[in-house]
Amino acid sequence: MAVGFEYPDLSVAAIRAGLAAHDFSAREVAQAAIARVDALDPQVHAFLEPTPELALAAAERIDAALAGTDAHNAADASAAATHNTALDSLGPLAGVPIAFKDNMNQLGTHTTCASLMLKDYTAPFSATCVERAIAGGGLPLGKLNMDEFAFGSSTETSAFGRTYNPWDLERVPGGSSGGSAASVAAGMVTVALGSDTGGSIRQPASFCGVVGMKPTYGVVSRYGVVAFGSSLDQVGPFGRTVADIAATLDAISGRDLRDCTSQEVTTCFTDYLERGVAGMRIGIVSALTDAPGIELEIVTATHQAVKRLESLGAHIVEVELPNAAAALAAYYVIGPCEAFSNLSRFDSVRYGYREPDAADLGEQYEQSRAHGFGPETIRRIMLGSYLLSSGVYDTYYYPAQQVRTLITQDYQRAFEQVDALITPVSPRTAFRFGEIADPTSMYLSDIFTIPINIAGNGGLSLPVGLGETSGLPVGVQIIGPQFSDENIIQVAAALEATYDIRRRAPLEAGIHASIEDRLGTPLKAPTQASAEGGRQ
Amino acid sequence: MYLTEKDVRGIATYARIGLSDAEVAAMTVDLNSIIENLKPITEYDLRGVEPTFHPIAGLSNVMREDRVRSGFTHDEALANAPAEQDGQFLVPSILGDAGGDR
Amino acid sequence: MKGLKTVLQDWEAVIGLEVHVELTTLNTKMFCACPISYGDDPNTHTCPVCLGMPGALPVPNRAAIESIVLAGLATGCSIQKRSMFYRKNYFYPDMSKNFQTTQGPIAFCMHGAIDLEIPHTAATVPRAGMPERDAYTAHIGITRIHLEEDAGKTVHVGGTDGRISGATYSLLDYNRCGTPLIELVTEPDLRTPEEARLFLQKLRQVFLTLGISDCSMEQGSLRCDGNVSLRRYGAAQFGTKTELKNMNSFKNLHDGLTFEICRQAEVLEEGDAVRQETRHWEPAAKRTITMRVKETADDYRLFPEPDLAPYDLSDEFIEAVRARLPELPDAKKRRYVSTCGLPTSDAAALAGDVELSRFFDEALTAQPALAKPIANLLLNEVSAWLNAHSVEGLTLVSGKVTPAALAELAKLTADGTISSHQGKEVFALMAATGDTPARIVEERGMKQVSDAGAIEQIVSDILAANPQKVEEYRSGKTGLRGFFVGQAMKATQGQGNPQLINEIITKKLEG
Repeated sequence: MAVGFEYPDLSVAAIRAGLAAHDFSAREVAQAAIARVDALDPQVHAFLEPTPELALAAAERIDAALAGTDAHNAADASAAATHNTALDSLGPLAGVPIAFKDNMNQLGTHTTCASLMLKDYTAPFSATCVERAIAGGGLPLGKLNMDEFAFGSSTETSAFGRTYNPWDLERVPGGSSGGSAASVAAGMVTVALGSDTGGSIRQPASFCGVVGMKPTYGVVSRYGVVAFGSSLDQVGPFGRTVADIAATLDAISGRDLRDCTSQEVTTCFTDYLERGVAGMRIGIVSALTDAPGIELEIVTATHQAVKRLESLGAHIVEVELPNAAAALAAYYVIGPCEAFSNLSRFDSVRYGYREPDAADLGEQYEQSRAHGFGPETIRRIMLGSYLLSSGVYDTYYYPAQQVRTLITQDYQRAFEQVDALITPVSPRTAFRFGEIADPTSMYLSDIFTIPINIAGNGGLSLPVGLGETSGLPVGVQIIGPQFSDENIIQVAAALEATYDIRRRAPLEAGIHASIEDRLGTPLKAPTQASAEGGRQ
Repeated sequence: MYLTEKDVRGIATYARIGLSDAEVAAMTVDLNSIIENLKPITEYDLRGVEPTFHPIAGLSNVMREDRVRSGFTHDEALANAPAEQDGQFLVPSILGDAGGDR
Repeated sequence: MKGLKTVLQDWEAVIGLEVHVELTTLNTKMFCACPISYGDDPNTHTCPVCLGMPGALPVPNRAAIESIVLAGLATGCSIQKRSMFYRKNYFYPDMSKNFQTTQGPIAFCMHGAIDLEIPHTAATVPRAGMPERDAYTAHIGITRIHLEEDAGKTVHVGGTDGRISGATYSLLDYNRCGTPLIELVTEPDLRTPEEARLFLQKLRQVFLTLGISDCSMEQGSLRCDGNVSLRRYGAAQFGTKTELKNMNSFKNLHDGLTFEICRQAEVLEEGDAVRQETRHWEPAAKRTITMRVKETADDYRLFPEPDLAPYDLSDEFIEAVRARLPELPDAKKRRYVSTCGLPTSDAAALAGDVELSRFFDEALTAQPALAKPIANLLLNEVSAWLNAHSVEGLTLVSGKVTPAALAELAKLTADGTISSHQGKEVFALMAATGDTPARIVEERGMKQVSDAGAIEQIVSDILAANPQKVEEYRSGKTGLRGFFVGQAMKATQGQGNPQLINEIITKKLEG
């Protein structure tokens, strides 16, 4: 590939600078990204549906806008400055390759949620986060693999095949936003969007050695993102650096009139990248960090990160979260109940898989749902259906929401003492395919991330190098007070600067497809990338 | 043991998911194991604790003005329909018990 | 089967109603910005939200919340500041999400009541203990009014009568799906089918006055189900109830409840038990049939809707709605009696009809002193005309007569410019042409002849021409007066002032 820049490592800022300096065009960035997807996705299988023509079309709009401004200001001595102004008007993600988890509606693309149920579903509208990312200048490269309907922690429940961890192709990328994490880790896109209901951004980010953030519930609109747990779901970005995360968050956050729970956000997250942590109070929770069952390399990495923050001038404060242990149980009540109800709309009437030849509507419902949904999805629906039934509601659902109050109060009290918390992300590094088969054990891998969804706060997974035993990426989690996500960015950026580590998986392509070949592929056709286990 | 296979069948009927006998048996094992792990919820003393149904404290009265905005065209509405007739979504015969009490 | 009157001598009927009202006067649906429509092509008013597309989220319509608060204030409810929407989960293809967004244990409006006046009519069977020949008042409690969304429409194809049984397939139209709907539930305070009918009528009048719905039972924007049970007088416990559906007119409500009360009485008197079930009223066959037997309580898996913020209505919000409360029918009726001096029956008739009373009030602003003549015109000429033209769908609003014109007509009659007989003729022309009464009177030379001298001459001529009849009259055949009046009217081409003619004839014959 003959382009004058090293695409896979480009940051949002570097793309911006390159466009401003005419080092390359947005089209060249798009072409490089498409080529990289072609080259690596056959190994990673992060994409369910690449959208190269949409990326190129978006790139051409950006190049045209920049060229228009250039021509207009050809005689103007301050042309360079004007060029930057044009970039600013194009938004914080101008020319940045981005891809979306496949539970996000993007007009005209498939939105499958990695389920047979929605195999042929074409989105008739766009999610707000997708709309904003593209309006902010992003080049949409495609839709990303995930656990079916986001139920899972390994992306193994996808109906369209597994996604491979770019650091070790024999291991899972985590989940449910496994495709998002893997696409960024492999350098196929600069940033990606995922959704997080119990850790589905932070855990795969840590497994794939990239940065992933779940903002406070309400920071990013959920409109157009297929719901799992409505009071738990939150959209967030993946990137290779905290700066890229901040820029993406700047593009997608804020009030959306179509989502009652979305909130006004006036913060510019990029402004918090270089403020340092001197004088900040950062909390640690020994009872959590040193709990049994956590691998030693995770504990060590977390302690080291704390030491670094301390040496940067942060005050480390021990805090307690006495009810955190009940969060997992509360989550496995609230999540399935909301999911049961949210997934009732998949009834094969207006859209979705329909079992042929059913004798009546009742049979059509039962067979379409039995065959359209995978086993984990059915398990969650069944659990929710049980937990909401009369009598049982008062035993589990209502008390779970009361426990949620206690957990929320824990965090409120903790954040009276500290500006941010630091904990592990996952009790272990990426596991092998099929290694965890028992649902309950799989659920346990989210014990550090789930409480944050229960309380609604924001959390970020920051890579802190490779585990000393496993040799696989390890992440630490930075948690902030509700609607103080800038604290998280500030702490994560400062901590990140102390690590001199690989930001991208050491994976290179075995196959090189030409750009021209890719461009000839129609939007809806199955791609080479998704051929293995992909939708037919 | 919280649920019998008969219970699980009832839950599946309510959730409109057709399960085979083998699937019901496996599901019964899975659900009982998961429900066992929900125990901490039942062991709390929660007297006087208000539930949190909505995670954003104090969020209330979110409403929109009564103004029409254009939605789907007729074709867009039916674009994903598995079956249609006369511009409407077609479903097989709805038996009396296909739904709740209307 | 025994008749209602006989049954109610032995049994106390206990009736409660569930009334659904679509908020048809709003612009948009409950949770999305699609327009509210009726009769448009199927599936032309939908969006991701009301089609239940994956990823869509609801946003409540402020005007719908205002409407239900208005309804609550008008029916004596206590407005609940704090409430939530819930999800009621059940599968039915016309409810696109397979859950209905509705309210939970606390509705926006709780614990209201309506005082219902039951007039005496020959056909009415009054509640026990009430006098046979007098009107009485019944206090009907309202348990709650809550806000929810309507379902779409299903057409069953291949069966008989469009019924669900026997249909080979069904077609779904989601235009109506998501239309704001309020559900009002009464206490079991009604005791006769007539009370139920009058309650629903009164409720309709109140909601029409509020302007929150067109309340059309024909088009389904006003729907009513009934719960009926019987018990012996004096019994403390309610009997087993049945739920009655498909009563889509006031008459059907009355007749359906009547049948069901008599049916239950027969079942009980034969020593059987009433089954708890949902029954369907068949107006053509005049009977109720079993629709669905309830073996266990429904389990809708109700839980708070996480996508919608809870409500914590402010005093300002509630007071702003209260300030919009129009004068309600009961208050109107009182005003028509006390301020306008109308007889109670006329006041009730006017106040009980939103269009008539609105028209009356407007006409009254033009001629404040002429309440009685205006009321008479409305209740006689105008009502008769409306009845005669109801087939064409003409209404007061769509008609050509304005309140000001009607007031002018009342004035022309009252000040003697035209006779009341001419008044009827003028109204007919007004209704047909839209001309003002002054113009009609002018153009057709319809002025009443009130010139006493001219009338005296005419009467003298008539008496002179009929000496025999004058003789007969004077010898006691006073019934001939009508003949002389008729002759005089004829001679004045109907324009003679009848009062004057009468006076002069009397004077000349008896003087």
